[in-house]
Amino acid sequence: MTAIIKQEAGSSLLPGGSSSESLRERRSRRLRRRRLISDLLVTTLWASAAAAAALYLASGGMADWGTAGGVVTGLGILTGLIGSDFVLVMLVLVARIPALDAAIGHDRAIALHRRLGKPALYLLLAHAVLLLLGYAMTAGIDIGAQWAQLWAMPDMPLAFIAVGLLVLVVVTSLVVVRRKLPYEFWYGVHLLTYVAVLTALPHQLSVGGVLAEGTVQRAYWIALYIVAIGAIVAFRIIEPAVQSLRHQLRVERVEWIAPDVASLYLRGRQLRELGARGGQYFFWRFWTCSTWWHAHPISLSAAPTDDQVRITVRVLGHGTRRITSVPSGTRVSFSGPFGLFTDAARTAPRLAIVAAGIGVTPVRALLETGDIAPGEATVLLRSSSADSVFLRDEMRALTARRGARLFLSLGRRGGHDDWLAGADRARGASLRSVFPHLLASDLYICGPERWVGAVAAEARAAGLPDEQIHAERFDW
Amino acid sequence: MRTRAVIGSAFAAFAILAVGWEVGTSSLPPGQTVTAPTSSAPDSGGSTPNSGTTQSRSAGQSGSASPSEQNSPSAAPDPGSSSGSSNSAGAADGSYTGSLERTPWGDVQVGVTISGGHIVEVPALHLTDRGGQSVQISNYAAPILRSEVLRAQSAQVSMVSGATFTSEAYLASLQSALDQAGF
Repeated sequence: MTAIIKQEAGSSLLPGGSSSESLRERRSRRLRRRRLISDLLVTTLWASAAAAAALYLASGGMADWGTAGGVVTGLGILTGLIGSDFVLVMLVLVARIPALDAAIGHDRAIALHRRLGKPALYLLLAHAVLLLLGYAMTAGIDIGAQWAQLWAMPDMPLAFIAVGLLVLVVVTSLVVVRRKLPYEFWYGVHLLTYVAVLTALPHQLSVGGVLAEGTVQRAYWIALYIVAIGAIVAFRIIEPAVQSLRHQLRVERVEWIAPDVASLYLRGRQLRELGARGGQYFFWRFWTCSTWWHAHPISLSAAPTDDQVRITVRVLGHGTRRITSVPSGTRVSFSGPFGLFTDAARTAPRLAIVAAGIGVTPVRALLETGDIAPGEATVLLRSSSADSVFLRDEMRALTARRGARLFLSLGRRGGHDDWLAGADRARGASLRSVFPHLLASDLYICGPERWVGAVAAEARAAGLPDEQIHAERFDW
Repeated sequence: MRTRAVIGSAFAAFAILAVGWEVGTSSLPPGQTVTAPTSSAPDSGGSTPNSGTTQSRSAGQSGSASPSEQNSPSAAPDPGSSSGSSNSAGAADGSYTGSLERTPWGDVQVGVTISGGHIVEVPALHLTDRGGQSVQISNYAAPILRSEVLRAQSAQVSMVSGATFTSEAYLASLQSALDQAGF
């Protein structure tokens, strides 16, 4: 046996799996396609920022750069245009557009959304400050008088409100701050973004000289808003509503499988038409008085049948406590499926899976539905104690059926930044020892963010290319 | 594959900026100042200065009623082609067109309508419209200046803060119109 970690009884050891030629071709074609779309997205992001700047150039803005005041004013207009463009891109990224999810995954879209947050805010703050300065310089009056004059212009008070709201939204989303806030509060504040986007619009169209009536610039700008807000309305409101009405999902029963872990069985109709793959998740909204306002992203923990899906939830806070105590018959609306933690993202002939704690749920569904040959897959489950290996019996049966190896790594971790149990590490276990064919494998990692990071770091150090590392967070 | 994204982004951004630059510079020949977008319909040549004229192109008054669209830049009747009836001397009733004043933020030209020896209207024929904020300043300052003028019944009113150029040019153009009227 290659691994030092105890192998779970009942799992079989079969010779390594090999993918057929056509399967490999299909996978590499899919990978190329995802890369292409991903690159196009990055290009579109920068192109849209350039287009925002070009709006200014095309309106003859450079003609004003003869004076210091003109330069400052010009920069103020540019930062405003680019900052607003970023905000709109951020809206598109969180719109949960299925094609975007299929190409880069919703979690990566969210990661990009977060990275854009601060630059967008800085640009918009610079916009306000630079224009105040620039106008004051040109008019030869002091900042206070200029401020008063701006405040008196139509739509400008709304614009000041928008900037204030954006500051609030970004500050509450800073990692340090957000950690200290209840999710509900953060979420409530974050919804103000929509108010900020809408209150900022009137001054752009009335005061913004670049976007004056009858110009191409104005048409383009309005189109941008329609695309961004349209994407939100279409994919976060209309599509989920239509799907939910169509599939009529209700909670059938809640089954506690550990003191803090419950499986929810949901019953509906024609669920296969959702096309959900094992490893994907949905945003679930449970329609009771205390839970309706918050949709939870939760993975399927079993392959869906035509009339039933199952999710397994660990109680980590108020929200998860409330949704695990909803009564049978509770209506459930949803959006999804989402995520690339699936068979569709495979690129290599073998499969290596590592999951910690409740991270086992998408892994279980992935094993159940994936296109996996006997001996192809190896699974390592990590937990602090034997009691908290959730779905253990199901995993044992499933790995036996799919001809996969199953390992457990139990006990305290080897160190703060280690992902293996200390005892296993002391015996010389590592990612390579558990997965001897690591470099020919797709590595799927699911668990808390830090832990996932530690596994991914060891995989990269072992020489595994990024495209073979598939990680998805389940704790956001 | 990141390289492809970087190259693609750089190329796309460069191309788009180049197009923007080209459009911006070609549509704004030096000396011509009326291409900045204004919030109303295009001039149709009316109040646009012809390339040769620079300062104080004062036209005669027109006996007709004042233009209906006051305070809206570039919605003026033809200032150059107006026909006069009674010329100067003793605040004759009628409409007069002021001089065209140039400012770094675009041209300013207003008219005045005198009736019964009073200033009854100050139609704005063309207001500053060049550069990011000029249209706003015009739209903001012109109504204030107009009502001040109507109240004071002269061009001796205080300027609107933050709209220095517009105010100066507005009042200068108005004064030339009042001079023609002998007001």
